Amino acid sequence: MRLRTTLNNLHLILLLLPFLSLLPLLHSSSDRNLVEQTCHLTPFYDICLSALRSSPTSASSDLHGLAQIIAGSVLQNANQTLSQIQQLLDRSTADPKTEQSLAYCAELYIPVVKYTLPQAIDALSRGRLGFAVYGISDAVDEIGGCQKLLSLESPVSEGNKLVTSLATVALAIIKLLQKGFF
Amino acid sequence: MDDATSKSFDHPYTVLGEDPSLVIPPAESRQRPTKVYFWILTSTVFLLSLAGLIVRENPNRAENSIPAAGTAIPESSQDNVRFLPVGEAEGVSAKSYPSTRGRLSFNWTAADFAWQRTSYHFQPEKNWMNDPDGPLFHLGWYHLFYQYNPDSAIWGNITWGHAVSRDMIHWLYLPLAMVPDHWYDIDGVWTGSATILPNGTIIVLYTGDTNEAVQVQNLAYPSNLSDPLLLDWVKYSDNPVITPPTGIETDEFRDPTTAWTGPNGTWYVLVGSRLNTTIGVALVYETLDFKNYTLLDHPLHTVDGTGMWECIDFYPISTNSSVGLDNSATGPEVKHVLKASLDNLKLDYYAIGTYDEGNVTWTPDDPEMDVGIGLQVDYGRYYASKTFYDQNKGRRILWGWVNETDADYDDLAKGWASVQTIPRVVTYDSLTGTNILQWPVEEIESLRLNSTEFEDVFVEAGSLVPLDIGNATQLDISVEFEIESTQALEESMLGETESQLECSVADNRTTLGPFGLAVLADESLSELTPIFFRLAKSNGSLKTLFCVDETRSSKATEVFKEIYGTVVPVLDGEKFTMRILVDHSIVESFAQAGRRVITSRVYPTEAIFDKAKLFLFNNATDLNVTAAIKIWQMNSADIHPFPLY
Repeated sequence: MRLRTTLNNLHLILLLLPFLSLLPLLHSSSDRNLVEQTCHLTPFYDICLSALRSSPTSASSDLHGLAQIIAGSVLQNANQTLSQIQQLLDRSTADPKTEQSLAYCAELYIPVVKYTLPQAIDALSRGRLGFAVYGISDAVDEIGGCQKLLSLESPVSEGNKLVTSLATVALAIIKLLQKGFF
Repeated sequence: MDDATSKSFDHPYTVLGEDPSLVIPPAESRQRPTKVYFWILTSTVFLLSLAGLIVRENPNRAENSIPAAGTAIPESSQDNVRFLPVGEAEGVSAKSYPSTRGRLSFNWTAADFAWQRTSYHFQPEKNWMNDPDGPLFHLGWYHLFYQYNPDSAIWGNITWGHAVSRDMIHWLYLPLAMVPDHWYDIDGVWTGSATILPNGTIIVLYTGDTNEAVQVQNLAYPSNLSDPLLLDWVKYSDNPVITPPTGIETDEFRDPTTAWTGPNGTWYVLVGSRLNTTIGVALVYETLDFKNYTLLDHPLHTVDGTGMWECIDFYPISTNSSVGLDNSATGPEVKHVLKASLDNLKLDYYAIGTYDEGNVTWTPDDPEMDVGIGLQVDYGRYYASKTFYDQNKGRRILWGWVNETDADYDDLAKGWASVQTIPRVVTYDSLTGTNILQWPVEEIESLRLNSTEFEDVFVEAGSLVPLDIGNATQLDISVEFEIESTQALEESMLGETESQLECSVADNRTTLGPFGLAVLADESLSELTPIFFRLAKSNGSLKTLFCVDETRSSKATEVFKEIYGTVVPVLDGEKFTMRILVDHSIVESFAQAGRRVITSRVYPTEAIFDKAKLFLFNNATDLNVTAAIKIWQMNSADIHPFPLY
């Protein structure tokens, strides 16, 4: 009889075990779900997830906070891409045509990182969502102008694509905010 | 569509009209023998009695015309009520033409009025606009403020409208920047300028018309300098900062300029006025903090006989480079332009001269071409122009207000009035040394769609060449003419006879002109706006006139149809060149790379939509020309409200 009770207790514990292991998940499941839920509603789930998870505050952010994190990531990557362009220009090992394209790209990027994106981020923080959309869309257009001039093998292409993808994610999230989602 | 199509014409001309010597036919002439009179009389009597019956059946005769929007004022009562043009009673220049009041309005349709709206020039969505104010560049945005009436399509209740753009072409409307809400501007927040201080602070000085119709100068500044849109403005708590000094009429004291630096941290500002009613004057005020001002005991400059100077502008210009200069720049290779809008003539005049920093005075290079008696900024429908230093791209940019030339009841009916020119870059003309050059900002090229190019088009004396380009209401045209050396030309150069130096109408054929383009012309040329060169010998040398003839631009009788023109210097070896921006009811024409400019407003009734065409013409009797022309279709600038939220 005693063995049976022990076995019954063991059964109980074994039954409960998987649920117990889920406890830590249950604790912050709503926040993790928000990140995932949100990223599912953007065109680039992986990029969105990666950008948000790399921020320590994303787990406890609301939708507006997530938009700000992504927007910050757009600016950060745009800055990095601009640095990359400037480094390539400094080395000046490229042929004149490529140099000209790079110089033009730099000219497009500079006002984007100096004015357009910082203003969009500021607008976002003030709730001027339309202004934020306008600015980020403008940045996408400018970067598109740069990408058109470069060959596909250009090292800058990767940066352009990442910034554009992140910007597209940012726009999708802001549009959710505008529609009053969550 | 092809980007550029090159065509050359061997036999281009088509002669119109019965008389082969008349290329652009004059308005039809009528013949009236007595027999016809009798017939007309009897049939009129018959028809009138018939009409009497019909009218009773159809009380609504005016099916095609638009009832006046907003304040619908019947014409007859207006004749009794308004004696002065709008604005004059308040003490600013006339903003309307009551003399057209007696004329019957054309039966404009809604589509006609809609066509008149420009596609790529700045204008508010509706209502009245006049002087551009406080243009500036800040944190990535170009700002334009403008005199605006939020309540009507005629002048009144003046506020500062506001718009921003990244490129001075694609504008976004913002909420009003300033409204008349204090005793010192309750009668109108009038014209003013912005000054950007070295530390980035922006201050605005503007004229306020007080509750007693006294013109005072007030200080305002952005409430938040880090707001790139500069949405909110604060008026200094101790306004006004400048009131009319003794001896100056209280309603002839206005339009403070951008400030420039003097010695020891002082700043100077000009306010326009007049002395003894006939002497135009630029009064100088000195300040350290923009709050307290001292009037200098002598003006910057005066010119007898020019009357009240409105919208004074004063700025340095480099004589050895095309780079723009900040308002405080000085140096050996720097001259200063002084400009005034003459209230008496409704024209903008300027002169190039030298600024004496020590005395704070300015002297024109050529006293015979002084402000108000020499060169005009623009020889067409143009007023209240103002420049600013664009520190973003290192340029001096010029704005100019272009009023309507239709009747103000047309404006009320269509619900809007006035546009701004495309902003122009201003540089010194080092080839002539006597004038500035104005050129549309290069950002306008972003509107160019497809282009059509014609080279070596031989335009014989007395010929007309239709240019098949499709839509002809939104265009950017560049054309070059080369004249053939003919006997007539030689004789003109050597001979004794001098011709009258006047534009006259395009169908007035003289030996050496006119030749040019006819814009907004319909197929049958019942309406057209010729823009041309006319050569004539005067004072012993061959002169070139640059002209715009509006006399046949429209069949409507209540619109103004002027002939604008000026002599333009054409130097040895230069071709005759024009750049023309066509944008519905506004045409901006630049001769010799911007040496002279003519802005005009036209309201065709037939030559609109797809009926508008473009022609090359040569109406000279004894001069052949060859033209090279490139025409771009222009996109809309899609000016719309800023999507803030």
